[in-house]
Amino acid sequence: MSPASGVNAPLSPDALSAALRAIGEERYHHRHPFNERMHEGLLSRRALQTWVANRYYYQTRIPIKDGMILTKSPDASFRREWVQRIHDHDGQREGEGGLELWLRLAEAVGLERSEVEAFELVVPGARRACDEYVAFVGGHDLLESVAASLTELFAGFIMHTRIAAFEKHYAWVKPGGLDYFQSRTVQAPKDSKYGLEYVLEHARSREDQQRCLAALRKKCDILWSFLDAVDRATARPVLASHALVRDEPDGSRVVVLSERAVRIGGSGNEILELCDGTRTGMDVAGARVAAHPGEGSVADEVHDFLEEMGKAGALRFEPEAPE
Amino acid sequence: MAPRPYNLIAELSYRCPLRCPYCSNPLDWAETRDSLDTDAWCRVMREASALGVLHVGLTGGEPSVRSDLEDIVAAAAGAQLFTHLVTAGLPLDEDRLEALARVGLRSVQLSIQDALPEASDHIAGTTSFERKLAIARKTRALGLPLVVNVVLHRHNLGRVRELIALARELDAERIELANTQYHGWALLNRDALLPSREQLAAASAIVQEEQSRPGLEILWVLPDYFGDRPKPCMGGWGNKNIVVAPDGLVLPCQAARSLPGLEFYDVSSHGLEACWADAPGMNAYRGEDWMPEPCRSCDRRGQDFGGCRCQAFALTGDATRTDPACALSPDHDVIAKLRDGDHSGVPLRHRSATRN
Repeated sequence: MSPASGVNAPLSPDALSAALRAIGEERYHHRHPFNERMHEGLLSRRALQTWVANRYYYQTRIPIKDGMILTKSPDASFRREWVQRIHDHDGQREGEGGLELWLRLAEAVGLERSEVEAFELVVPGARRACDEYVAFVGGHDLLESVAASLTELFAGFIMHTRIAAFEKHYAWVKPGGLDYFQSRTVQAPKDSKYGLEYVLEHARSREDQQRCLAALRKKCDILWSFLDAVDRATARPVLASHALVRDEPDGSRVVVLSERAVRIGGSGNEILELCDGTRTGMDVAGARVAAHPGEGSVADEVHDFLEEMGKAGALRFEPEAPE
Repeated sequence: MAPRPYNLIAELSYRCPLRCPYCSNPLDWAETRDSLDTDAWCRVMREASALGVLHVGLTGGEPSVRSDLEDIVAAAAGAQLFTHLVTAGLPLDEDRLEALARVGLRSVQLSIQDALPEASDHIAGTTSFERKLAIARKTRALGLPLVVNVVLHRHNLGRVRELIALARELDAERIELANTQYHGWALLNRDALLPSREQLAAASAIVQEEQSRPGLEILWVLPDYFGDRPKPCMGGWGNKNIVVAPDGLVLPCQAARSLPGLEFYDVSSHGLEACWADAPGMNAYRGEDWMPEPCRSCDRRGQDFGGCRCQAFALTGDATRTDPACALSPDHDVIAKLRDGDHSGVPLRHRSATRN
């Protein structure tokens, strides 16, 4: 068998491009239930606000990530092109750029600029997802880092959907709030065109191509888990109907499920009792913070508990309907 | 002191309308009568709960062959056990599943033999594929979590992608892709079931890719004979899982009856606690004192518990030896010989259909 055939032969540029796009079609977050609900007009005001506030943390990580990518390239023309992304985000001066536009979106949905800038509404799972993206770029080479950015291939399209959905369903959002999305409808296609050409040119071996595909999959999964975290915070957790809660002789409780049992201690018990179908994840955290003033980690403990119990299948999360 | 059992495996009957050639029931399954009546099973449920058991898997054979399944489920639910039905999907039907849910059934594990209807029916030895899909859909319509279980072997390993897609389509919470373990009928059919290394590698790559997608949980049970460490069989002998067979015998695993010279107790003559804690057979391989070298001094003895006693017996004639699946076992070459032979064209033998 010649080296250019068989399972280890590199894909043609067209085939690689198609394989990258297939990953997006399958697992980009346009398919995530939270985004689907957003685009169908099914988010409550609070849910939309929470998303905007959490997503701001993501926006602030992007120029940091792009700065890391710059340090990986010895090629001046690459850096000249890529540095534009940082300018797009940070602006040339105070009061300009994508981050500023996002803060205007935050204000337009009724949030205080200062609480958003202080990341007060950022939930731990969303923060972890964003940090994981930065760490991924830190731990992988230039080619994989550029490949991971190719979720932008699908961003232009989602921005159009989003603008239309906001105009139709969320008329209460103040004018000017959508400027960020408008700006990305131009930037994302331009950025992704450069990124895609870079990957198609530099991923020559089958192995490099596989690394690029895996990097894009990873990035899609990160965006997905970000929305999972926002979803949990904005929906109302309730005990899964099939879960069995049993008291143990030692005073602890176990939640028994089809393939596992989760033991929960004192604070877990108290959190679980708040998950009665009337409170969102944010509300549960708020109630715990109110009951334990001055204890810094109480809110994070709630969100981590909801995540763990959600992943175990012990809780289901009922979305809050629009007002 | 005996450890606390967390899971009860209640083998309600060895009868089953399916005749899968890898059935883990004993070859002479028909000799084991369904000698526990409704009251006896209900008592087992209450005693299990008192022992600390949290979860009961109602299995067989096929548990739905028993006309008193509703009563047993109700008793288990009443005893605060999580009740999980392990079924082939027939003779169960949708109405009966609904009745079971009403009396406290909490989840369903459904076996599917292949992603192709005709191949699934061929392995099952009976027309059953469409019935299974109907039971899967009804399970989800009732709001119960669904686990799809597929035993993998040479004849269906090439369709793991289709099997995973089917589980997603059925809205299963989890799919268990369990490579055949060679006990019971599977041992008899071993040469006709053993996959090739290439088949396994291809399937394993697909599983890895699918595992990274959100949603469906995918469990891949590594095949016997291809690894270099044994499985932590049953989480240890008499350690976490307690099996009650159709005739009332209490066992540490579904196959332990095949081991000679072990005395187990019967729930008809002993309480479940005595069957679990005091039966000499239950204590034979409990803990680590029984272990030979190389297990005795091995770092992994608390992780894999010396592997499987039944496999050690089946392959070496001595249940006290290290599981030959372990590369550190002095008998490991037995595995290599079995694995690497040419087994093409060996015919499958279906499980016997009826009682003798």
